[in-house]
Amino acid sequence: MLKQTPEHSPDRFERRWLAEAIRLLEAGRGPLADADAVRMARLAGGTLEDRVLVRAQALGAREGLLDALRDWRGIERLGLIVVALLALSSGFGVALGVLGDGSRPVNVVWALGGLLGLHVVGLVVWLIGMWFGGRDAGGLLGKAWQWLARRMARSGPAVLLGRARTDLLAGAGLNRWALGAVTHLVWLLALLGALAGMVLLFMLRGYQFTWETTILSGDFLARLVATLGWLPGMLGFEVPDATTVKASGAGMLAVEEARRAWAQWLLGCVLVYGVVPRGLLWAGCRTWFRRQRAALALDLGMPDYLVLSDRLMPASERIGVTDPDHADTARAANRHTHVAGAGAPTVIGIELRPERSWPPTIAEGVVDGGRVDDRIQRKEALARLAAQPPARLLLACDARLSPDRGNLGLIGEMSACAADCRVWLMDGTAPDNPRLAHWMDGLARLGFESHEIIGDEGRALAWLAHGDE
Amino acid sequence: MAMSDERRFPVRIALVGHTNTGKTSLMRTLTRDGRFGEVSSRPSTTRHVEGARLIADNEALIELYDTPGMEDPVALLERIDTLVEAERQLGEILDGPAGIARFLTLPEAEGRFEQEAKVLRQLLASDAGLYVVDARDPVLAKHRDELALLGRCARPLLPVLNFVRDPEADEASWREALARLGLHAVIRFDTVAPERDAERLLYGKLATLLDACRSAFERLIASRERETIARRGAGEHLIAEMLIEVAACRVRVEGDVVEIAAAVDGMNQRVRVREQACVDALLGLYRFDRDDVETGDLPLIEGRWEDDLFNPETLRSMRVKLGGGAAAGAAAGLGLDLMVGGLSLGVATAIGALAGGGWQTLRHYGDRLRGKLAGHHELTVDDAILRLLALRALELLRALEARGHAAMTPFVQAPATSASWREGALPRSIESARAHPEWSGLFGAMVREPEREQAVSALADELGRFGSAGR
Repeated sequence: MLKQTPEHSPDRFERRWLAEAIRLLEAGRGPLADADAVRMARLAGGTLEDRVLVRAQALGAREGLLDALRDWRGIERLGLIVVALLALSSGFGVALGVLGDGSRPVNVVWALGGLLGLHVVGLVVWLIGMWFGGRDAGGLLGKAWQWLARRMARSGPAVLLGRARTDLLAGAGLNRWALGAVTHLVWLLALLGALAGMVLLFMLRGYQFTWETTILSGDFLARLVATLGWLPGMLGFEVPDATTVKASGAGMLAVEEARRAWAQWLLGCVLVYGVVPRGLLWAGCRTWFRRQRAALALDLGMPDYLVLSDRLMPASERIGVTDPDHADTARAANRHTHVAGAGAPTVIGIELRPERSWPPTIAEGVVDGGRVDDRIQRKEALARLAAQPPARLLLACDARLSPDRGNLGLIGEMSACAADCRVWLMDGTAPDNPRLAHWMDGLARLGFESHEIIGDEGRALAWLAHGDE
Repeated sequence: MAMSDERRFPVRIALVGHTNTGKTSLMRTLTRDGRFGEVSSRPSTTRHVEGARLIADNEALIELYDTPGMEDPVALLERIDTLVEAERQLGEILDGPAGIARFLTLPEAEGRFEQEAKVLRQLLASDAGLYVVDARDPVLAKHRDELALLGRCARPLLPVLNFVRDPEADEASWREALARLGLHAVIRFDTVAPERDAERLLYGKLATLLDACRSAFERLIASRERETIARRGAGEHLIAEMLIEVAACRVRVEGDVVEIAAAVDGMNQRVRVREQACVDALLGLYRFDRDDVETGDLPLIEGRWEDDLFNPETLRSMRVKLGGGAAAGAAAGLGLDLMVGGLSLGVATAIGALAGGGWQTLRHYGDRLRGKLAGHHELTVDDAILRLLALRALELLRALEARGHAAMTPFVQAPATSASWREGALPRSIESARAHPEWSGLFGAMVREPEREQAVSALADELGRFGSAGR
């Protein structure tokens, strides 16, 4: 046997086989730690199947499946050799048993039946099985062979590989062809063994041939012999003619030509009806199997592979941060400082929704500072506040909006223009509003204490009118 | 056009917008990367520019850049206006992009306006921008100023209305305001529960804005569609496998009522575990962790989904017709198989099983016949439970398909699924699974054979048909 390089690299089918084994392993045991394998696969590139195969090979090497695959190969080869030897020798034995030691004449009909009978029955069963499909197709011998291979592969990885192989081949409908090839090979070898045994015995021993019947006529047998012998005859095998047949039946014919004709007829029948069909079927099954197996692709639509594809062939990859945050650049945290203000209490609405009615019902003496949204409104409001700083300033905001540097900055600037300032969160004060907390945070950073942030309209307006009481 | 269609890929798109409008969420949904960046309801969560490539057929077609939120556009626009005006007085006329570029050289672009500067710089470096809008917000002056600033970058801008499915969303005002600024192409894209076609429409609109890059978007659309179909098919396969296994499950009980009750309990437990396994597999398929489920409130952990599978009320709530076994309160109905007549399996099934299955099936028949004669009972899972399992799993599949990877808020209940599973005959593959206890992995190892896989595939196809009919 040709020893390959120690780095046994699996062939096309074996790589898929390995992938299927890994899939089964992960289905049973949960995902394997595959960060390295995934990295390798992504580096290798190619189609999803390529990547799955690269990953499987990397994981297989780690999990010992690659070694098991090599072992499996060896075991299978060894098993095949054992079975082949058994088949050859049993074929030889059958020939020996059927022809005997030459002390008694050979009954040609019995001999042919003994040599080909079981084979023909087996062939018919196989054909029926193939015709009707079904899982039992593939031949009993093939099944036995599979069982034997499973028996010989006892360790965990080997069992897994066995299952993976069966699953993979069954999925592609190839098992029956594989089993068929094995069945036909075994029969082919057995029949070759028988043929070899017959040739050897015919060479070394002198046999007499006869036939017996109780109810059939000699003519019938002559016709049978001629019919069966027609095809071998085309290939140059001698066929006993009618007179020889009849003479053989009546008594033992010791004529040399007749004996040779009988021997050649037997050999021809075994060759043409046994060896040749089995050989052709074996070659056919094998070729078909090999070709289909070579075209075998992983079923990438399987959920397991789809999940894998997200990591092997992601829909996106991160580029990373291209323009980093320079952190702590002074994020203007304007602490609000109070000037001495004596102007009228003022209420201002900052970035309110257009549908929000304004102003609120305010007490006598309170000034409506208006809504403030765009640049000009901001400027005007700030100018008014700077000109006449109010004693109390109430800034109304909508807590459903997000606080941002812009509006917080404005609040900071305005509050600096008043002796005392409160923020009134008009809407969105329900505790399930996530932005409420952001307002509280932002305002706290500006220096507002929690009592300076008011959520209730009545309280806000009361403070504006009368201050803290 | 002189510029060839095969222009440089990837196309660069900047995601811009006011702070806290869901730019990173959109990023996550488009990249299918639920771990991208950081998402919270807190404003200015993202303070840097971070990119991701969208890949289809092994080629990076599009680069998306997530930018910090604009926070103080009013002050910034004023600053730039002042700058442009000052330059004009010195005799230099700066147009939009030139004004922006000049501003970016100022120290303020590294200081007070650092966040905004990053946005503008990125938009200038990109082929187009997606302007993400929180449709729940009113249109304010700051938004208009923001759009004015972005407009000065002279890049095609596609407004994306986020949170449009929220009841507070004011889509009309936004559309009107955007139209006034000349932005007529607007897309609705709810990052929490994107509509079925949202992504395709988004890329389609970008393709019209960037005609030279049309092929990149078209290829991306095709690839994403293939992927969606494959994922749905795989999901249906997972569900079919569960249904086949549960339908095939068959337990023989020898003994009295007490033992039967214990066996029913055991079987219920196994079915529950199997359903959970299917749910986990579906979550994995749609790239949701069980962690995501906990934080993201997927249907399984709240409300109806937590209902006991075998509670008759659960069946009723899904409007599944109660069969004999379930009506009696027993979930795993006693399979009162009239074995001798072979009636319960259906003559066709029996013949089919014999033709396809051969000896193994016949042997099971023999065993069961013997058990029957010895007075044993056989437990199978009731049809009503199978219907419920199918409905729940299909509903979950639909929910997962519709759920964006940005979703942080509770799950929105999907509309009722097709009626086909509630009543009427169950698919034939389920019937044939009943005849193959060895197909079930509920109790130990199962036999994976071509017939089983065929049954699973056939059922998956059928689920797909029901699913698409219900859509």
